[in-house]
Amino acid sequence: MDIKMNKDTMELLSIISGIVEGEPELLNARENEIYLRLSETGFEDATPALAERKFSLIGLFCAEAFEKKSGFTLFYVFKQAGRAPVLVLVREAGKEKKVTSVAGTFPSASWFEREIRDGFGLEFAGALDTRRLFLHECYPEGFHPLQKAFKNGPIRWAEAPSTEYRFRQVKGEGVYQIPVGPVHAGIIEPGHFRFSVIGEPIFSLEIRLFYKHRGIEKLAEGKSPSKCVALAEAVSGDESMANATGFCMAVEQVCGINVPERAESLRAIMLELERIYSLLGDLAGMAVDVGFALVASPFFILREEVFRQNEKLTGSRFLRGINTPGGLKKDIPDSLLKGLPAFLKKFSRAFESAFDRAMSSSSLIDRFATTGIIKKELVSPLNLTGPIARASGCPADTRLDRPYGAYKEFAPEPSVRKRGDVFSRFEVKTNEIRASVNLILRLAEKLPQGPIFAESTGYAGQNLREANNPGATGYSLALVEAPRGQNLHWVYLKNGLVDRYKVRTASFCNWQAIEHAVLGNIVPDFPVINKSLNLSYAGTDL
Amino acid sequence: MNTSFLLFALLNPLFALLAAPLYMALIRKVKAYAQGRRGPSLFQVYYDLRKLLQKEAVYSPTSSWIMRFTPYLNLSTLLVCSLFVPLVFVPEPAGGIGNIIVFLYLLALERFFTALGGLDAGSAFGGMGSSRSMSLAAVIEPTMVVAFAALAFVLKSLNLHQMFALNAGTILPISPTLVLVSISLFIILIVETGRLPVDNPATHLELTMINEAMILEQTGTNLALLELAHALKQFLLMGILINTILPVGLSTEIDAGKIAVSAFLFLLKAGLLAIIIGLFESALAKMRLFRLPAFYVMAFFFSALTILIEVFA
Repeated sequence: MDIKMNKDTMELLSIISGIVEGEPELLNARENEIYLRLSETGFEDATPALAERKFSLIGLFCAEAFEKKSGFTLFYVFKQAGRAPVLVLVREAGKEKKVTSVAGTFPSASWFEREIRDGFGLEFAGALDTRRLFLHECYPEGFHPLQKAFKNGPIRWAEAPSTEYRFRQVKGEGVYQIPVGPVHAGIIEPGHFRFSVIGEPIFSLEIRLFYKHRGIEKLAEGKSPSKCVALAEAVSGDESMANATGFCMAVEQVCGINVPERAESLRAIMLELERIYSLLGDLAGMAVDVGFALVASPFFILREEVFRQNEKLTGSRFLRGINTPGGLKKDIPDSLLKGLPAFLKKFSRAFESAFDRAMSSSSLIDRFATTGIIKKELVSPLNLTGPIARASGCPADTRLDRPYGAYKEFAPEPSVRKRGDVFSRFEVKTNEIRASVNLILRLAEKLPQGPIFAESTGYAGQNLREANNPGATGYSLALVEAPRGQNLHWVYLKNGLVDRYKVRTASFCNWQAIEHAVLGNIVPDFPVINKSLNLSYAGTDL
Repeated sequence: MNTSFLLFALLNPLFALLAAPLYMALIRKVKAYAQGRRGPSLFQVYYDLRKLLQKEAVYSPTSSWIMRFTPYLNLSTLLVCSLFVPLVFVPEPAGGIGNIIVFLYLLALERFFTALGGLDAGSAFGGMGSSRSMSLAAVIEPTMVVAFAALAFVLKSLNLHQMFALNAGTILPISPTLVLVSISLFIILIVETGRLPVDNPATHLELTMINEAMILEQTGTNLALLELAHALKQFLLMGILINTILPVGLSTEIDAGKIAVSAFLFLLKAGLLAIIIGLFESALAKMRLFRLPAFYVMAFFFSALTILIEVFA
């Protein structure tokens, strides 16, 4: 195997060698990612040591029949804040399909482990929470759709739920529960919120999601990478571009494709356009949730303007259908791009006046400030990313920490706030919109000419469009900064077809922050806290 | 009972009932324009009421007679209230009609049953709305008492009819202190009709609701009656405010021409007030629930100030 490593990756490797006894088996390494297989004892030594060195568990997923193994293989993805390389510890689940849980050391593992339990049927010994996650009780017992033995098709629903999903019980005088959802008023996705309150202050909140599982990961199996792009785009509507790019990057890394510069730049422009419209929706939503429609409406109007701009440039309001492994399906003509700076300048003026309108209202600031605080200490254990982390004093941004594509040359201006309340998130999001506008202007100014698709690569890129391309085999991981935070895409190709596709969106981890953010706040403040976090239901429920 | 009052008892409630929904719609329209939208037609509230009246009512299995009874009680209470607030003309006094203490108790009765109705359906949101409404009522009710006391002090009567008869002849209020009372009355109007910054009538977020949460489980005809009662309540409170601050044109005698002018002028004045309410609602975010008493205290302050001025001046 051709293993190339950069300085950071070498350093990471030496850290690990210092922790575990004996030589770990190096499975694969690429720029900024290394895969190590450890023995069970080696693994158990390594995890607390990694936690000590402030590594976060940013992903944990499973694959069946990985390489030459027959059983289940677990991938633990670790990353240190501010550093580019990721460390993937590979662990075999063995025949008894039981491994020890790491949720005690890495709290973010809890949902990951429950997800794997549902999908693959593995048990995690010592896990604090062994309830079902994405397969609710109506799914039959012993049904694990991500096992290779399961062929996609209709299933028999359980007549009655096999077990009861037990919510946390908070007891005491004057404590009562408010169940909210899963069906909500308004146009919103399903999720259940169980509040335990004493009067108005919230004492405990437990969320339950996964009411619309779509089986995206299973659908990807056996498809050609180019066909999978549409699946990646369907993960979460307003992260379509980010997810498509993440998927394409992973495939391109496996196949060793070098994407042409023009395609990289255009991708970055579209990623930033997506960030702008997505964050505008957040800002408007936050104002709506405190009943301030006058502040919300200009943000809504601007969002629509960006959608129209998207349509003009790409033919899709949500920037779908343009990305493909190897580059872009079609070029955006310079004649159209010429109008972009003028549009953005007009946009900036309108945005600043909308922002001033918001900031000149003491009643709005009163509602935002000190509401829904997320403490900095939560960021690493729960693996919080995106504007949420940045509003809580953590300058994590994949575009800066681990630049990809055009971000290697064009870095966005970072925006960090320390308080971690709704107001900080509002400020960070407004700053990010400004930064994105500047970034697009810079990108558009120096937009290279040339091809938009990698025709001449070591691997026949063109064939990626066909199902029967001459089998690339391999796996790779890509991290992209979506509007909501860092999204992780891992693709395992076998003979040119997707054997396993894992997406972990930022929301999957960020959702868990809401249970902490609302504590001590009053019930009527919940909607604005929720909106300030803007978590994707679909992005969590694949 | 005299003919003047009989005519009033016929005209005033009918006028209020017919015109009240229009001002719900007008406020929405103003808010829509402020946001850069066109908003629904001014007749939308009437269409909605007609639609709801044709629909069947659905009841939760845990609900009792309270839920079925509340809509009828609320609307009839408000119709009785509409006899207390002269809108088209001021009739000759008749019995206890117009007494502000009775008026306040009628409003309290309506509030009490709305809160009970919220609890009755057994949904978490209804109970939450009722609890919030009742805790806030503990603050706003004394405020209302003081505001009406101030009104009575300035206009030298406990009867709304006599008060407004005294005020009716002039273009501007007879005493400048009435401007202060009007500020209190405006705040009471905002609070009682569940408008921003107290409550957001346009929201879909159950967790933030106060008034809407209590009628969340009501459907069909019952909902129509409650909506109508709500519109009526707003219209009557607007009437009290208008007769206090801008009494011009209010007729005190029975004359077809004068009554028509009086009614027409009232519609205009109410339109102006609705625009002010719409703009006021647009200019503020909803306050934090626990900060609301501070808002109510403002109403209390202006009324108390009026009484102080009247006593010592």
